[in-house]
Amino acid sequence: MEGLPATVAEELQALTYRERAVAYLQVGADLTLVGAGGHLGAYGLAGLRLGEPAAEQAFFLEGLLPPVETPYVVPSMELASGRVADLNFILQDDTLWVVLLDVSAERDAARRMQQKAYDMTLAQEREAMLNRRLEAANAALLATQRELEASHDALARAHDQVQAQAAELAVWNKTLEERVSAQLVEIERMARLKRFFAPSLAELIVSSGNERILESHRRDIAVLFCDLRGFTAFAESAEPEEVMTLLHDYHAALVPLIQACEGTLDRFVGDGLIVYFNDPLPCPNPAERAVGLAVAMRDAVAALAKNWRRHDYQIGFGIGVAQGFATLGQIGFEGRFDYSAIGTVINTAARLCEAAKDGQILVTSRVAAAVADAADVREIGPLTFKGLSRPLAVCNVEALKVA
Amino acid sequence: MTATLQKKICMLGGFSVGKTSLVKRYVQSVFSETYLTTVGVKIDKKTVDLSDRIVNLILWDLAGEDDISSLRMSYLRGSAGYVLVADGTRPSTLEVALSLRQRVEADLGPLPFVLLLNKNDLREQWAIRDAELEDFRRNGWWVESTSARTGEGVEDAFKALAGRVAH
Repeated sequence: MEGLPATVAEELQALTYRERAVAYLQVGADLTLVGAGGHLGAYGLAGLRLGEPAAEQAFFLEGLLPPVETPYVVPSMELASGRVADLNFILQDDTLWVVLLDVSAERDAARRMQQKAYDMTLAQEREAMLNRRLEAANAALLATQRELEASHDALARAHDQVQAQAAELAVWNKTLEERVSAQLVEIERMARLKRFFAPSLAELIVSSGNERILESHRRDIAVLFCDLRGFTAFAESAEPEEVMTLLHDYHAALVPLIQACEGTLDRFVGDGLIVYFNDPLPCPNPAERAVGLAVAMRDAVAALAKNWRRHDYQIGFGIGVAQGFATLGQIGFEGRFDYSAIGTVINTAARLCEAAKDGQILVTSRVAAAVADAADVREIGPLTFKGLSRPLAVCNVEALKVA
Repeated sequence: MTATLQKKICMLGGFSVGKTSLVKRYVQSVFSETYLTTVGVKIDKKTVDLSDRIVNLILWDLAGEDDISSLRMSYLRGSAGYVLVADGTRPSTLEVALSLRQRVEADLGPLPFVLLLNKNDLREQWAIRDAELEDFRRNGWWVESTSARTGEGVEDAFKALAGRVAH
């Protein structure tokens, strides 16, 4: 208080004592309370007992006695009473003075400032934490979005693949339909052609794709006529079932031979058969083929005839073969077409067949010349035939030469 | 007659980890949702009956400091033990607690202490891995989870610490 007038200094001390709620404790060297005074009640220290341990009565002194240094201050201590005090430790003549000065107002002011700072820091921490969570959620969303995009791409690729496969399938279906249609057409054509031609020939015609060969045309062909001797008489006397059985056996034996030789079967006329060679598809050595077929037919019917004789059927077999130009093509009208040949060569073969005795294969001189290397042929002499203006040199084929 | 001891225990930890709330829950069995920062130190007393003796725990609830250099070591003088408090929803407060422990041990030597991971009632916001706590326990630390709001683990932790400082 140096420099202050005595009255002011005294007033100031009184003011400090009042406003700072000054209180004090005196602690002896044995740590017992030896004195106390001031505003003790403000700090919840009323009723202190002198001579008793100080820290047991003022428990905030626990651990602080004896002080390691003086003067010593423990600032801003809130006591159980709610008052906040600075504790000033002052040692004087072996007595420790603990002076309490109220700093509640200062503490409250400091707390208001600190509270704002901490509230702001906490808000920033919360914001940062929320940001981290948002970023994590955002990253998870982005990852999910990428997965979705990848799935979408995969789905799109699968879709495109399915579309491409569907388009490919459609093309295959169309191709298949076209093939089926084409095959149906071929089957129909084949069925129609098989009526006229050997199956192999019919297939050849179909595969060649050229049906114009069925149109009317002229060609040099070999014609084979054959029929049974005595069949008319047999048919008159035998039962119809016997006739049909005989014809069935007869056709079953001959038709495969015709097909094997790739001859064109014109038609059945009862027991008669007409076969061409070199039409509608050309073939080398038509006369030779016709004679080869004739010999095979004769052998086949001879085998059948053994059985017929056991039934007492008097039936023989004759064949005529001629070669020459004929007009060939489809004959008939819509719904009923036949492939047939017209010309003198047909009549000639028919007449030769008529003239042939059982087991004979009568051929024209042209045919005989054509097969001279392949067959043993014996000249019979010129024969006159109905419908033919001049006699015809006729030969009989006795056997094929052994190759 | 049962002997009575008196032991000073300091509450240490970063700000807003719940030191004052833990003391209030332990001493007065109440909890306030309002956060009121502590300036300086607040003194409370709790008498603990340890069956063989009575211990008066003088609880020094120190202002939370994130900057450990601000810690007034004068407050810690004469402590028999301390409670390290961290907020389980804020990992940075665990680092503060570990730094405070280093500082205290450097100045006062090894003292009994317990590490409390507070705010255990906010498990959905929990940000500290159990494996990390297991590491502390393997190193001989005493670690507990507490909730000043529900009271979970509070009484047991203080009573156990009282037992350690009293023997």
